[in-house]
Amino acid sequence: MRKKLVSVLLSTAMVATMLSGCGNSSQDTATETTTTAATEASAEGDTAKSGDAPVAGVCWYNFADTFISNARQSLINIAEADGAVSVEDADSQNDTATQTNNMNNMFSKDVDYLVLNNINTGAIDEICNQILDQGCYGIFANTDTPSDANFEKNEKLYSVSSVATQSGTIMGEAIVDYWNTNPEADRNGNGKLDYVMLLGIQGHYDTTVRSQNSVQAIVDAGIEVNQVGGDLVCEYARAKAQESVAALLANYSDDIDCIIACNDDMALGAIEALKAGGFFGDTGKYVMVTGVDATAVGCDAVREGTLLVTALNNPITLSKAIYKVMKLTSNGEEVTTDSMGIEGVSVEGRRVWLDYKAITKDNVDEAAYDVNDTQIDY
Amino acid sequence: MKTKQFDIKKFLMNYALYVIMILMIIVIACISPKFLSLRVLRDILMQSSTRILVALGCMFIIVCGSADLSGGRVVGLAAVVAGSFAQQAAYYNKFWPGVGELPIIVPILIGVTVGGLFGVVSGFTVAKLKVPAFLATLGTQMIAYGVNCLYFNKAPNNSQPLGGYTESFSKLGTGSILGIPYLVIIALGMGVVIWLFQTKTCLGKQIFAVGGNPEAAKVSGINVFKTLMITFTVAGALYGLAGCLEAARTGSASSSYGLSYELDAIASCIVGGCSAGGGVGSVPGVIIGVLVFNVINYGLTFIGLSSYWQYVVKGAIIIIAVALDVRKYANKN
Repeated sequence: MRKKLVSVLLSTAMVATMLSGCGNSSQDTATETTTTAATEASAEGDTAKSGDAPVAGVCWYNFADTFISNARQSLINIAEADGAVSVEDADSQNDTATQTNNMNNMFSKDVDYLVLNNINTGAIDEICNQILDQGCYGIFANTDTPSDANFEKNEKLYSVSSVATQSGTIMGEAIVDYWNTNPEADRNGNGKLDYVMLLGIQGHYDTTVRSQNSVQAIVDAGIEVNQVGGDLVCEYARAKAQESVAALLANYSDDIDCIIACNDDMALGAIEALKAGGFFGDTGKYVMVTGVDATAVGCDAVREGTLLVTALNNPITLSKAIYKVMKLTSNGEEVTTDSMGIEGVSVEGRRVWLDYKAITKDNVDEAAYDVNDTQIDY
Repeated sequence: MKTKQFDIKKFLMNYALYVIMILMIIVIACISPKFLSLRVLRDILMQSSTRILVALGCMFIIVCGSADLSGGRVVGLAAVVAGSFAQQAAYYNKFWPGVGELPIIVPILIGVTVGGLFGVVSGFTVAKLKVPAFLATLGTQMIAYGVNCLYFNKAPNNSQPLGGYTESFSKLGTGSILGIPYLVIIALGMGVVIWLFQTKTCLGKQIFAVGGNPEAAKVSGINVFKTLMITFTVAGALYGLAGCLEAARTGSASSSYGLSYELDAIASCIVGGCSAGGGVGSVPGVIIGVLVFNVINYGLTFIGLSSYWQYVVKGAIIIIAVALDVRKYANKN
């Protein structure tokens, strides 16, 4: 009896953990831009230890993440090809404690650059102080950028990050374009844009900016919107999105004008459900679907005409920008939009911004990137 | 009077979940009558199909008095491995560029084999090395996920979600005969096979005996090691099959597939009448258990409620089911 009770309790506890399921965490976070006075970084003695190439310690948040794995490989390739800075990296395994350990490890190795793909966003100030005490360069990569105060305190502090809000805006703008040029896009003729929102994980930064900014862009264009269905939290997973959209279609088939997904996987799940529900192809029935990431399968769907738009955050641009910042500072050069010289990269103070790129049927071939592309001087 | 009261209590204890499910269907149908349609039934059955396979595998293990946390990640691994061998020859982002177009049976066999191998490892760890099943299968779960990520990240794929499946493989996930999707036929067919195996074969009954009382089973001449090995291997193969079908159904696969499917499966088994203590469980019960959860998932989305309500309702149902399960045993003793 006791044994049975114990196993019952155990299984209950186990089932309870189901509720706290963790999804694909993702990559890019950034806050609003604020300009600080550009200060030229000094490149004295500390990077020139006995003439060896300066060493960069890179802490990525999760090697298993597609985006990170590409950026990581690309950075290694660039460093090998160029040779001006040598790179070693560590995996935070999506865990703040591991990140802290890795960071301390890099500090004890006395690295010249700490590149931090920070996930401990609550501790930015603390981390900035540690970097200041350590005296090395600090580069916050693809994460919340440190505050102005931190930038003022430490002139060896940089951030390299995508403008996360753009991923939402790109989806919204593409929907506005289509809506304005195709009157039949209002499928039930109610004059409102009826949208379904597929969320990743609620409270997750990417989910928040993508869902809010996409709808904001539509509202800003003066179009009235109406959300169909509840908050569909699909955890960035294709199967969940497919199931949710199938259920919604069974009830609201004629009342959905567009499906906004916070990543490509969910958008493709929605497209799969739409196909099963008699949309696309020869049926002549069309619903706008938008995604983010520009994955290879996402681009296939763009070519096929089922995915209206996807937003590309190019991991190669990230790694090139990180490397270029290190190379420029180690040569004592100023980091500016011109000196960076990479397409889609702009510099404000010591904040380096990477643009998202809208990928549509017209430019889908530009979405391809190559981790073996090591060209950093243009 | 007294007898009647006892009967109602007994009836509720045995059928409470069915009553709840029917009530939910009635409520949803009142809100939106479209719910009572063939299309909805078809959708729910189709969404349940891969879950049924995982839950059936899980049922074997629970009946055997053991536990398995590896299910979901093995589904994910099998989905990626099967998907990687099911691509069109000319697909530009091919996982195995050298491999041509393979007949549909190849990816399925590979997926089932991968699942089965993980079952063998779990079974051996539990039966021979005597590692508690929770921990042994937590280990295989992690290994499966790790292997999946490594495989998925292999050049030239570099962690890109798979695509470009052959027509026959896609048809497997989306096609149907006489309006009945292949997936549903496969899932229910496997259900019948397993039901026959469980109730009509000696080995099937031995699994119940081992789960009910391993000592007694051993004394009566049952090879407990062999029984556990077979149980875990069959369960693993079922997870593998579920993975193949999941890849076909969604038209893609990535390393995140199958996340927490094992917990859904365990919940479905318990709700479907398997005893968490082992020795009790039936195929029809488990299938109903899976359907209960999918009716909730589908129905609440259908009427436009937030996904969070699904968790609240599912959680409540699990609590009711386990509470009833515990009471059944209290009565027996």
